[in-house]
Amino acid sequence: MNVKSLTSLISLVLVFPLIYLVYSVIGLNLDNFIYLWNNLLLDYSLNTLYLVFLTVFFSLILGIIPAWFISTTKFKGKNFFDIVLFLPLSIPSYIIAFTYSDILSYTGPIQSYFRNFLPDLYTYVNLDYLQIEILAFLMALVLYPYLYTACRISFSLLGSNYINIAKNLGMSQFQTFFKIIIPISRVSIFSGLFLIVMEVLNEYGAVKYFGVNTFTSGIFRSWYSMEDINTASILAVCLLITVSIFFILERYSSSKFKYNYKPNDTTSGNYSTNKFSRVLIYLLCLFPFILGFLIPVTFIINNVFKTINNIDFNELINLSFNSFFLASTSSIIIVLIALFFQFIKKISRSKTLFFLSEIVSLTYAMPGAVIALSLILLLSFLSKIFGISIIFGSVVILVYAYVMRYMAVGISPLRSSFEKHPYSFDDTGKNLGMSNFNLFKKIHLPVNNTSIYIAFILCFVDIIKELPITLILRPFNFDTLAVKTYEYAIEEMIAKSSIYSLIIILLGSVLLIFLRKIINKSIDVS
Amino acid sequence: MMKKILSLFAIFMIGCAENQTQQVVNIYSQRHYDVDQIQYDNFEKSTGIKVNVIKSNADELIQRMENEGDNSPADLFITVDVGKLWQASNMGLLQKYQDESLTDGITESLLDKNGFWIPVTYRSRILVHSNERVQKGELSTYEDLANDKWKGRLLVRSSSNSYNQALLSSLVANLGDEATKSWTKAVVSNFARDPKGNDRDQVKAIASGQGDVAIVNSYYIGLLLSSENEEEINAGKSVSIFFPNQGEGQRGSHINVSGIALAKNSPNKSNALKLIRYLTTDEAQETYVNNTYEYSVKPNIEPNKIVSDWGSFNKDTLDLNMLGIKRNAAIRIFDSAGWK
Repeated sequence: MNVKSLTSLISLVLVFPLIYLVYSVIGLNLDNFIYLWNNLLLDYSLNTLYLVFLTVFFSLILGIIPAWFISTTKFKGKNFFDIVLFLPLSIPSYIIAFTYSDILSYTGPIQSYFRNFLPDLYTYVNLDYLQIEILAFLMALVLYPYLYTACRISFSLLGSNYINIAKNLGMSQFQTFFKIIIPISRVSIFSGLFLIVMEVLNEYGAVKYFGVNTFTSGIFRSWYSMEDINTASILAVCLLITVSIFFILERYSSSKFKYNYKPNDTTSGNYSTNKFSRVLIYLLCLFPFILGFLIPVTFIINNVFKTINNIDFNELINLSFNSFFLASTSSIIIVLIALFFQFIKKISRSKTLFFLSEIVSLTYAMPGAVIALSLILLLSFLSKIFGISIIFGSVVILVYAYVMRYMAVGISPLRSSFEKHPYSFDDTGKNLGMSNFNLFKKIHLPVNNTSIYIAFILCFVDIIKELPITLILRPFNFDTLAVKTYEYAIEEMIAKSSIYSLIIILLGSVLLIFLRKIINKSIDVS
Repeated sequence: MMKKILSLFAIFMIGCAENQTQQVVNIYSQRHYDVDQIQYDNFEKSTGIKVNVIKSNADELIQRMENEGDNSPADLFITVDVGKLWQASNMGLLQKYQDESLTDGITESLLDKNGFWIPVTYRSRILVHSNERVQKGELSTYEDLANDKWKGRLLVRSSSNSYNQALLSSLVANLGDEATKSWTKAVVSNFARDPKGNDRDQVKAIASGQGDVAIVNSYYIGLLLSSENEEEINAGKSVSIFFPNQGEGQRGSHINVSGIALAKNSPNKSNALKLIRYLTTDEAQETYVNNTYEYSVKPNIEPNKIVSDWGSFNKDTLDLNMLGIKRNAAIRIFDSAGWK
């Protein structure tokens, strides 16, 4: 089998359940769809747009600005910030939503304190915090690291050359940032934003809790409330098509702006600071860390201590092992596939392969439950056709679903890294008579080394937080940390769920700290 | 650790970690409380039958069962909303239990007239009100919540919540489409805020003064009152429970059943029946009421002390299958009234 057909086969396997979903909705009864269209969908779509807009806006502020200062400016404590700014990514969005609403609620520490000690000021904190704007901010607090990671690498790699030129041209740091760095980092910024937007689109638990109805709520309204799986599928397909159009447009327009720029060759940290700007930088860097990590994690740890006598440690070890096993297996598979795709795309320069390697990212916009549903439908179709019995609840199918769902997370960093390296690398290699395998081993593997680790870690951190797919497709008696957290949280027992969320966060944090080390080593900043 | 890796590998290869010779019963369950695991462990101890469980959302489990078809390993389907049991039976995913002795001692009105499911516990969706701002005599029925006097004072969670859907289904069944429609419109116009949060949040919103009356499931008050957080206990104490529709000639408060049913292709049917029988024993019923603050389906089992302090109440004796049958009508009424 040649590489082209292998690539096509892999991408087909990854998107086949969704293709089957699209196929299965053709010719379905549209009554309920029309009903939703007339009554709810406009409202749901507008909410979705507003939520996406706000979350992107907050993520840009939280992610890009610290990345810029840390990549280009000398200041004390830079290393510390560079570590901790990754950490919020380890917190699942439903956990941050539940945790903050608990902190801010009537019985939470803030309102209780004011009620008991500052009763005159109590009316100022006694508010309804379950608002769409707060939801967007909370989601941005745990999603901005996607943007931060992407920008951090991009800014550092292209840092000093461009900055020095800009300086010679008399541009200020502000002007350099907007006129040079942002346009040139376009691909990275968009790859980060893409992940953030997809996460917002597929979020269900947190939006439901906040009483915000998004397009995804429409999918679940059809499925869970109207008990109409077909309409749910139609809506999922609509979402998929919309996302695809935007995705293709974005890819098309960014392909027109190919910068084969020269990577950094001197150390950065160009800008020095005065007292005022230092204070500003500290505030900008501390803000995302304190709100996105320190406060929620402190609250969670406090809850763990409250419930420590009821913790079943054997079970905890078991669950941690399950989560770890699933996340690492799936992440390795994802990275291997993503790596293979990017390499093939690079050496073949084929339009078809380019398309195929992109299309597998789109599954990320689908809510996990829809991915699971599409797999269930496909498997039952296959088992009917071939007359074989397929057991839905197995680890193999679970891993398959994870790989489908999180392909985009693995592809994103690898793509920006592969795109950054000029074709001349390959041409030189080929001129030297290297085989494709050697080209991969001796050039692409080493130069993309960093993004391979990044891809693995981002996937791992994401999968360990995964919930809906695990719920639907797991085998008997099989729990993960995320499942257990959710089961308690949904029964309104936040304190009891905290030990499980803490382990998710710790596992993620360890990897993210490691991630920061890798990034820094490769971009040679200290 | 090595053993664990090997067993996971086994799961990986065969897709299910079962020892073929051991007696098992496989459950697809929407219930995921700690008490359920306690019940299964006790059952396993006394019978030697291993209980395998998958816990997920009822609709997802229904999809899984439907698509697994004849190959489905499910023996039992458990939900916390009787509407979903009706739906599963309506889709042909269940079989009748056909053994009348299984229902011995269970309150007649809680039983399925079609013989598909057996109730395990029940809960009531009732009203709670602020002790300060609402006098006992002001509340009367669900219907009365449409009264103008509640403008800006009602709190309730979203219409995507299945407990709300069941409540509205019961109104559709009792009052008819048109009356329910105008009731819903009026209730929505009385909301203190857009529906959001969970049941506990509605109680907290009363405590904080955002509204005066909330529609919630009774056991959440039990959970608040038994909380480890002093502030939550205080919030629970700042409200009182009111059972609506208790007056002369009125139908009683809305209830919903957590029930269990035999899957159509149950591969371990006799074990499954044993588990059903076990869950309705006095011993298991005691375990339920003391852990989740639900009500027992057997009249001889007293509720937990916290719950019995609220007093007893008359239940709506509507055929519980109506909570499923009228579901779709209820959803459309929610949407047309703008109940988010």
